[in-house]
Amino acid sequence: MKVGSFVLAAALVLCAVVRAEAHHSFAAQYDGNKPVTLKGTVTKVEWTNPHARFYIDVPGADGKAVNWNLELASPNYLKRAGWSSTSLKEGDEVTVEGSLARSGANMANARTVTFADGTRVFARSAQDGG
Amino acid sequence: MRKQLLVAALAAGALAQLASAQQAPRDATSPAGSGGSSNAALVGAVPDAPPPKLPDGTPDLTGVWVGSGPIGDIGMGLLPGEEIVLLPAAEALMKSRMAADDPEARCLPTGVPRIAPYPWRLVQSPAYGKATHLFFLYEGNIHSFRQIFMDGREHPDDLEPTWYGHSVGHWEGDSLVIETVGFNDLFWFDFVGHPHTTQLRTVERYTRTKAGELEVVTTVYDPGAYAKPFTVKFTHTLRPGWELMEYICNENNQDVEHIRGAAGL
Repeated sequence: MKVGSFVLAAALVLCAVVRAEAHHSFAAQYDGNKPVTLKGTVTKVEWTNPHARFYIDVPGADGKAVNWNLELASPNYLKRAGWSSTSLKEGDEVTVEGSLARSGANMANARTVTFADGTRVFARSAQDGG
Repeated sequence: MRKQLLVAALAAGALAQLASAQQAPRDATSPAGSGGSSNAALVGAVPDAPPPKLPDGTPDLTGVWVGSGPIGDIGMGLLPGEEIVLLPAAEALMKSRMAADDPEARCLPTGVPRIAPYPWRLVQSPAYGKATHLFFLYEGNIHSFRQIFMDGREHPDDLEPTWYGHSVGHWEGDSLVIETVGFNDLFWFDFVGHPHTTQLRTVERYTRTKAGELEVVTTVYDPGAYAKPFTVKFTHTLRPGWELMEYICNENNQDVEHIRGAAGL
């Protein structure tokens, strides 16, 4: 965990270094006052422009899974921040912290991703750049 | 295993970036912006090293830069004493604009002086000696370029309106001065939707104030939208060792269908 902590710290520093804004207005698409925490299983990863996305199934109250669409930064920013297209994989159990979309869709901007073993990484979201 | 990969990826990227931020750059810049270690002026800490020059004494502005023009609100760059005074029609247009209609969010070019939050590279041709052309190669918002004619030509009189207009440049001391006309009226200056007309003319003054910093002072002339010209200043930052990457904005652009509200909110 010591190494993991260092990596997280380094990644956070790095994010500050490469800070920028997304190609769209974050505030127009997401509500920074509506934080959300989602726990589920990764069903798909899209390493695409203008933003990478991943989708997770979150168990609903009735037991049925609800699929959420989660936005990350652009692949070029993620790559520069140490991510790769295989950092997140289908089947991963993750907890995601982010901001809800204003459209009301099951969509959010991911800010952090925490894996089953507790490793927590900064997601390089549109709110923070790229 | 996945976590190890992720940790390894994060570590590699973070360490590389931290190292490049703390050490003298090996590939900060060079004539033609092709990277290289020949530029003695850049030995030492990038931000404070003196601005490099080409062998003929011309300032060397080549390299990979991040920033900086307006993104959120062009007014953020106003010089002291400057103000933006919209004409009534332009003010009405701006107030009517919805954030989802921002051309940049729809993967269209930024125009001038707006810039996308992605790196860009300044290249000159020929690489050594007096440039006849400068090229701004943009990673985003779309893969696009601006070309600046440095060979003394004038603007043609039969220009059709375009996203980046027609640019001619010259040196004034250590500053590169670029005048651009022939713009279309389709792009916005920023997220909040500052408009312009085809009467827009921009004069940009680029000065590499130190090795790692490129200051850009732009005066916006548009008697069709503004009661008087205004001048803004933004600063680009060098990214030593960076290369441009692919960014094809309209590959999977789901954003616009979820953007809500007026542009100015």
